[in-house]
Amino acid sequence: MKRFFSLILCLLVLAGCGQVKKDPNSIVVWHWMTDRQKAFDKLALKYQEQTGIKVQFELYAPSDVYSQKVVAAAQARVLPDIFGILDKKSIMASFVQAGFVADLTEEFQKDNSVWENSIFPKALAVNRFEEGNIQKVKPGIYGVPIDVTNVQMLYNKKLLQKAGINNPPKTFNEFLEAAQALKRVGVPVLVSGWGEHWLVDCFASNYAFNIMGEEKIMATYRGEVPYTDPDWVKVLQIFAVLRDKGALAEGIVAKPNKYAEQDFALERVAFAFNGSWCVNVYHDMNPKLEYGVMLPPATDAQFPLKIWGGAGSSFMVNNTSQVKDKAVAFLKWITAKEQQVFLSEETKNLPANREALSSLPAILSEFAGAMDNTTHPKVWPINETPLVSEAFDKGIQSIIIGEKTPQDVAQEVQQVKEYGFKKAKRVTTQ
Amino acid sequence: MDQYQVKRILKSTATHAFLLSVALTCLFPIFWMVRSALMTNETVFIDKSLIPASLQFGNFYTAWLEGNFGVYFLNSVLYTTAVVIGIVLISSLAAYSFSRLQFPGKNIFFYMFVAAMMIPLPGSFVPLYVLMNNLHLVNTRFGYILCMINVGLSLSILLLKTFFDKMPQDLENAARIDGCSKLGLWWHVALPLARPAIAVIVIFNSLNVWNEYILATLLLNDKSLMPLQRGLMVFQGAHSVDYPLLMAGLTIAAAPILLVYLFMQKHIIKGLSSGAVITLDKRTKYF
Repeated sequence: MKRFFSLILCLLVLAGCGQVKKDPNSIVVWHWMTDRQKAFDKLALKYQEQTGIKVQFELYAPSDVYSQKVVAAAQARVLPDIFGILDKKSIMASFVQAGFVADLTEEFQKDNSVWENSIFPKALAVNRFEEGNIQKVKPGIYGVPIDVTNVQMLYNKKLLQKAGINNPPKTFNEFLEAAQALKRVGVPVLVSGWGEHWLVDCFASNYAFNIMGEEKIMATYRGEVPYTDPDWVKVLQIFAVLRDKGALAEGIVAKPNKYAEQDFALERVAFAFNGSWCVNVYHDMNPKLEYGVMLPPATDAQFPLKIWGGAGSSFMVNNTSQVKDKAVAFLKWITAKEQQVFLSEETKNLPANREALSSLPAILSEFAGAMDNTTHPKVWPINETPLVSEAFDKGIQSIIIGEKTPQDVAQEVQQVKEYGFKKAKRVTTQ
Repeated sequence: MDQYQVKRILKSTATHAFLLSVALTCLFPIFWMVRSALMTNETVFIDKSLIPASLQFGNFYTAWLEGNFGVYFLNSVLYTTAVVIGIVLISSLAAYSFSRLQFPGKNIFFYMFVAAMMIPLPGSFVPLYVLMNNLHLVNTRFGYILCMINVGLSLSILLLKTFFDKMPQDLENAARIDGCSKLGLWWHVALPLARPAIAVIVIFNSLNVWNEYILATLLLNDKSLMPLQRGLMVFQGAHSVDYPLLMAGLTIAAAPILLVYLFMQKHIIKGLSSGAVITLDKRTKYF
């Protein structure tokens, strides 16, 4: 018996021995993008043929598991040469401050900033820490976007034709007229995954930019403008109008985006509010779907409507990597036009390289055309607190189901905001 | 037909209807999984019929190839076997010691094991990864097996200790008179009697290891070391999912564990329903 146990223990210990030695001509990339693994592998093979450097893309999905692996690997000081940080910008800042992420500013600005100029500025902004940033990170660019995204509205060409609408609506009033025409032929108007708060927030934010402009929004977040301000009530009123005109698909406030995507892909609804990743999703669900992209129809307010967008996925270079220079060279190569077009065609995502736009399929081009019109909470100088955002998003859901009026919601959100301020004041005085 | 017969028939019908509805609730998701596995990506959202018009048996072959199931399947078999054997051996030794031996700090150690059940696995990811990295066991089969044994030990020790506590000591005394050592008592007397409890431990831990993916992703880097669940990830993009292939993959992944359950169900039911209590009848049968 003792011999048996000893033998098993010896075998197990032997099986655990041995560590893989680092090859100076190989780069390891950790990522979470399941649908891009095949394309990455093809690019890695091409890069090896061109340079002799082996690039190994290691996939760890889903993204929350991937994030935990990156945090654990950082603590154990075994991060790969290239990796991504999926958390908030504050987490990225802590990685930078701990010395895990290389400052790529110099590389981006080499040769008259040729690399920096090739990438969408909005995508780079997500990976940039500006002078005087609240995280107190040394100003610079710390990540490389490999693709970009934005959130817009989509319309089903066949359903619009069925309702006698020849062109997609450009203004909010035209949209309401289109909604009436669609209702007459029994077609539900707009669907979105508004069961997920961030999508409600995104739609409301579009109109907040349109109605009051960025400065006033930031002033509200700083507490200088109350949510009871008539402009904020107007933003909330948009949802009440959509509800009253019957422009929202049934059950929209409880719908996860996956179900909303099914509804649009299966031609059950005429309009959808969704991100550029939907091109891939719709293609999988219904390759014959005929649809177009449009900006959410703006109201006649004075400010331009801004949509959410920016870097889709970004990679960082491990500051302690033995092959740091090679890792940077590879990222330059993968964000070059040719590779970006390839990635875009294979994965149906928008390229981070601006020069790649000319070679894109039509629908992706339409999405990419609005990149200059984007903004994102990650690049704002200040963000609203989670508690207030939640109250705001839940309030919108209550308006949609007819439980509350825009005025009620504005007051409630302001109360949450004031409570937060009082609480913060108490903490600082203590 | 008298009123008693009518009552009996009504009672029996109601019972059977209830049991049938419970069985249907359990079986329907499995049926839906197999049905969806036989459809195409286009029809899976449109075709609402129970049996699809065109059956795509090729999905299983495609899922097997695209998910690289050959390697992952063998890995999962290895991990499940090694971890379950490890858990049964270590937990039964530990539980038997906690039940029969007197040693300093016995209760503290036991409560520590039980308390370990309260710590959620994600909470221990970072320290676990750092520890395994320091031991050079990250990205090794041995490291993953050790961690998974650790995950299953607490519950198994608790179950077996309860079982051994209720087991009469007469048999052990008789074996001791025959010259059996302490280790011999565990191997020749305690373990054979604990078969129903061990069956429960085997099936619970087999399920746990077979379906485990998060710890594997954390500890293993090499694709060739990954378990079966890694293969299923291929069909799930961040935003889009290939449902027919995912369902085909799930069917392949679920089949072996269903077989283990069917094979061991007699012991499992006995283990669960009897509360793992030893009776004199069993002792008589054993001798």
